[in-house]
Amino acid sequence: MAEPLKLLTRNVGKPNSTHIDTYMASGGYEPLMKALHKMTPEQVLNEVKAANLKGRGGAAFPAGLKWSFLPRKKEGEKKEPLKYLVCNADESEPGTFKDRLLIENDPHAILEGILIAGWATQAAGCFFYIRGEMPQGARIFQRAVDQAYAKGFLGKNILGSGFDFDVWVARGAGAYICGEETALMESLEGKRGQPRLKPPFPAGYGVYGVPSNINNVETYANVPLIIQNGAAWYTSIGTPSMPGPRLYGVSGHVKRPGIYELPGGVSLREILYEHAGGILGDRPLKAVIPGGSSTPVLRADQIDVAMDPDGLKTVGSMIGSAGVIVMNDTVCMVKALLNLLEFYARESCGQCTPCREGTHWLELILRRLEEGGGKEADVDLIVEVSENIMGRTICPLGDAAAMPAISFAKQFREEFLAHAKLGRCPMGHVPMTTVV
Amino acid sequence: MPLIRIDDKEIEAPLGETILRTALKHGIYIPYYCWHPALSIAGQCRMCLVEVQGAPKPLTACSTTVTALPPDKKIDGKYDMVVRTQSELVKRAQKGILEFLLLNHPLDCPICDQAGECQLQAYSYTFGHPASRMEFEKVHAPKRVDIGPHVVYDAERCIKCTRCIRFCEEITKTGELTLAERGVHTVVDTFPGRKLDNPYSVCTADICPVGALTSKEFRFKERVWFLTSANSVCPECARGCSVRMDAYKNEVLRLVPRENPQVNAFWMCDYGRLLSERLKERKPAARPLVRGKAGFSAFTTETFAPLLAEALAPFAGKASSAVVLVLSARMPLEEMAAALELKDRLFPEARLVVPAVEEGEDDALLIRKDRRPNLKGASLLGLKILPPGAPLAPLFAGKKAALVLREDLFALAAAGEREALKKALEGLECLVAGDYEVTPTGALSRFFLPLAGWHEMEGLTVNFQGVVQKTARVLVPPKHRRPFYDWVSRWLEAAGAEGPGPQFAPWFQRVKERIPALADKAVRDFLPAGIRIEEVTP
Repeated sequence: MAEPLKLLTRNVGKPNSTHIDTYMASGGYEPLMKALHKMTPEQVLNEVKAANLKGRGGAAFPAGLKWSFLPRKKEGEKKEPLKYLVCNADESEPGTFKDRLLIENDPHAILEGILIAGWATQAAGCFFYIRGEMPQGARIFQRAVDQAYAKGFLGKNILGSGFDFDVWVARGAGAYICGEETALMESLEGKRGQPRLKPPFPAGYGVYGVPSNINNVETYANVPLIIQNGAAWYTSIGTPSMPGPRLYGVSGHVKRPGIYELPGGVSLREILYEHAGGILGDRPLKAVIPGGSSTPVLRADQIDVAMDPDGLKTVGSMIGSAGVIVMNDTVCMVKALLNLLEFYARESCGQCTPCREGTHWLELILRRLEEGGGKEADVDLIVEVSENIMGRTICPLGDAAAMPAISFAKQFREEFLAHAKLGRCPMGHVPMTTVV
Repeated sequence: MPLIRIDDKEIEAPLGETILRTALKHGIYIPYYCWHPALSIAGQCRMCLVEVQGAPKPLTACSTTVTALPPDKKIDGKYDMVVRTQSELVKRAQKGILEFLLLNHPLDCPICDQAGECQLQAYSYTFGHPASRMEFEKVHAPKRVDIGPHVVYDAERCIKCTRCIRFCEEITKTGELTLAERGVHTVVDTFPGRKLDNPYSVCTADICPVGALTSKEFRFKERVWFLTSANSVCPECARGCSVRMDAYKNEVLRLVPRENPQVNAFWMCDYGRLLSERLKERKPAARPLVRGKAGFSAFTTETFAPLLAEALAPFAGKASSAVVLVLSARMPLEEMAAALELKDRLFPEARLVVPAVEEGEDDALLIRKDRRPNLKGASLLGLKILPPGAPLAPLFAGKKAALVLREDLFALAAAGEREALKKALEGLECLVAGDYEVTPTGALSRFFLPLAGWHEMEGLTVNFQGVVQKTARVLVPPKHRRPFYDWVSRWLEAAGAEGPGPQFAPWFQRVKERIPALADKAVRDFLPAGIRIEEVTP
């Protein structure tokens, strides 16, 4: 069993861990000084590329590559083209709560990562967009920003390097979709939170139409580690498709739910049975959603996989946000999926047809099935409707709803059919009633 | 230029052009709802999904652009892009989207005013499922929402394509509309305290592909398949928007804009459109009138023309310096040519003027302050234009006879001038007036000619840009209400001079003789969008 790491979570649990003095006492902001004084932006970028830092928001897109999409000044040009960074702190995927831990316990690690990314991309500043339901996180992060300004880590001519950088904290209003990068930008600009049609991508047309780079909180928090210790050290942790440390948020039917910092690509079985203490009530495991509610569900016999993109691909799922949702044998899978689809139907922004209409229809079919009025044909209908949503929408919310629906109905087909055959939930569950 | 293949067709398409535009241009139909050629690309309806070789999932044709591949990477050695619009994947996608669109859409076409011109209906036949698999209560949403003075909104019928929203943002730049609520409860709404109230608001009903936005004036008046239509031109300002007039029985029920890139794009203003409502208020004259001691008596065409010719005979020839002809820029070129013919043949010394009428200011989109459709035509024919607001009474000073056509002079005159104008008209020995209805000017006349309305005759009209368009008649006027050129033919005949005849064609010939730029044109050349001619000053 791998010991939990203390890299991203190095300051978690320390007294007054959010204060800049605490952060600096253990070497904080040294990576920034190293980057500003000893490395060119290109060297920083190359180091991050070499470290193969994968995005921690869900898509696992290489961060260094993403940064390199931003325009840089050309030969003979005096000024850098205006561009922004965005930090996506809208953590809203059900089952995901890792960013909140970092924001509320170690904001300076995030801020330092943002600053180094700002140096590497020569951006003018960063919008820190934080979920509206995290007022405490917003306060803590704002205080961290204020402290950084006071120490000269933010503002004009940072640490005498000639580099100017600002950070603005913006609070969302609580829509799931505003975690999608372009919906976030629309919301940030004060508009209705709904995704933009792509292309153009944010690197060409981002916040206020300015080229922008957007990364997840945890992604930025990895950057100081890479700059401090080097890409070789970083890639020695984890697996090729998910190098470095990773925060796994485990929730549901385990004995010790919580955030575990472990190497990327650790086995799912190890997370569940060794770190999270096994299944609650020592009951049989029934199902696991490995990477936040949008990722396809796994059966109990599929948990011997590496928690990285390559590993989960072998069982038809994805790493997502590494929010592991565990369900033991007391869970009705129809009800669990109904719960998810209620969420997605409610959170669909409503602009494009398949997601707006399809998620609602799925919710209706699932509720009827759980309430006992369903038909056996409903199980195929769920899959077919989901396939009509999948890949047909403007943004990934459609896929996010369709993937669990398809996987639940396929992986637990017998249980779904049993609902129709029996005319009730075989587990005796009474469905939740929600106001439509 | 990249070479692409769409289905079986090889097309050289410019880099960056969208697949949808390219396909439509080359006769390949891809269904769409939210895309509109004059609006920004939203990509929301997902109806135009096509299969692009190499793409992991179907792409929206409206937003996917033609790209080029390096020479060694070409598909099949020569194509930069291969697009399929008829593959199984595409058909499945189209079916899926239509099914989604109809899930919560009321299937009550028989009571929907859009039926017959509804894109949901049209596509359902071509691309849809034969039956609905929706077995649940549909989502209910506000119906008959009074969204603006001329438009009603039905949120249940709405497919949230946002064309109306984009129209208000991008074309009128008034921005009254937005999407409100989320998910399946999403509706189009106005911002708080606002209404869909701009001079072009009914265009939103035109571009609404379904029955969500309907025109208050037209809705539930008539099923669209019973309408008689004619391609015409709006007569309400110098823009001369290309329109289609739709009529049922004896009423024009609506005007809708026709696409004309050089004149009005896809739009027209609400004022022009509401001509149909104003026509309903009017009381068109059905018979020619002659004033006797006991007031007007109605005549027939056959008995009227000789009386008219006889009464005006004393003012003909050398005596015609005592005659004034006041024409209107509401007259098409043929009527103006007829008035010129009348002047040349009978009243060579007469004065002939066309008053210009202005109101308000030109706006940024279509509306012109010149409130007449054919002032440009009048100047092409060399007619004397009376500047807007010029006093009218002096026109009649020292005159004995006057012919006033298609203008109510009292409506044009300033309030303070009306008394003097009345005196001037009453002082004439013979006032002949011609109009669609008996106006206050007509009421003072000795001879009143009922003139066919704009919607009741054919004619050419020249807008302020010099675009010559042809009107067509959507309704046939009653027997004794005729275009002015028809009356002139009869007048000339009754006066013993030969006229070209009462039909449009010979008068069109006269117009061509008078406007050299039109000399080699045929009637069909003016359809459907008109011809822009060089300005000619004879």
